[in-house]
Amino acid sequence: MAESRGRPGSASQRPTGGDKAVATNKKQYFRRKKVCRFCMEKIDDINYKDVRLLNAFIAEKGKIVPRRISGVCAPHQRRLSDAIKKARNIALLPFATTV
Amino acid sequence: MRIYEELFIARPDATEEEIDHFVEQLTTTVTTTGGTVDKVEKWGKRRLAYRVEKHREGSYVLMQFSAGPESVKEFERRLRVSDLIIKFLTVRIDETLKRLEKRKKDRDKRAHRKATAAPAAPQPSVAQQMLGEPAVGQ
Repeated sequence: MAESRGRPGSASQRPTGGDKAVATNKKQYFRRKKVCRFCMEKIDDINYKDVRLLNAFIAEKGKIVPRRISGVCAPHQRRLSDAIKKARNIALLPFATTV
Repeated sequence: MRIYEELFIARPDATEEEIDHFVEQLTTTVTTTGGTVDKVEKWGKRRLAYRVEKHREGSYVLMQFSAGPESVKEFERRLRVSDLIIKFLTVRIDETLKRLEKRKKDRDKRAHRKATAAPAAPQPSVAQQMLGEPAVGQ
């Protein structure tokens, strides 16, 4: 989520939109704390057949969304990527699509 | 004995009877080796995410069975040989099922303990008190 860094002066006027403020020398910008969706919703089973769930974690081109963007925790990302790869194998999800 | 899940794609022009007949054949290969078929699920025709043997659609069939590793070999050989099937995926799920069951049991136990440990009043979090203002939602 490409959050543009606020120019000096403008940062303080922007709505925070999150609960965590990260201050780097002088420039201050706010970032929403990301949480793992699977931990929050207590989804134990990340199944390769659940295309609708997996679709939320693949980018437009068919790539797996990195964890630093989606906020998924490491154990769940591991299972998620396994599930996506299985789904690709059986043509439920694309390997790559040209935009 | 292990539990497997088999998802395969039949050609889109295959008729219902052809698929049923093929599933029956597969069932006999499992049962003759001492296994059991637990579930057969037909998803019907679906669009494929990419072209497989020049097909853009296919009929998906899901089978769940418990059998030994030897019978899976035979099972897969049949799928490979048949020209009705364009793609298949075998997944061993008994360990996954076990793990999920354990997770669920732990979760239930925790919930049970929480419920029995006296319904205490919700305590305001320390951070909230220090801030002296209600936390912003979401």
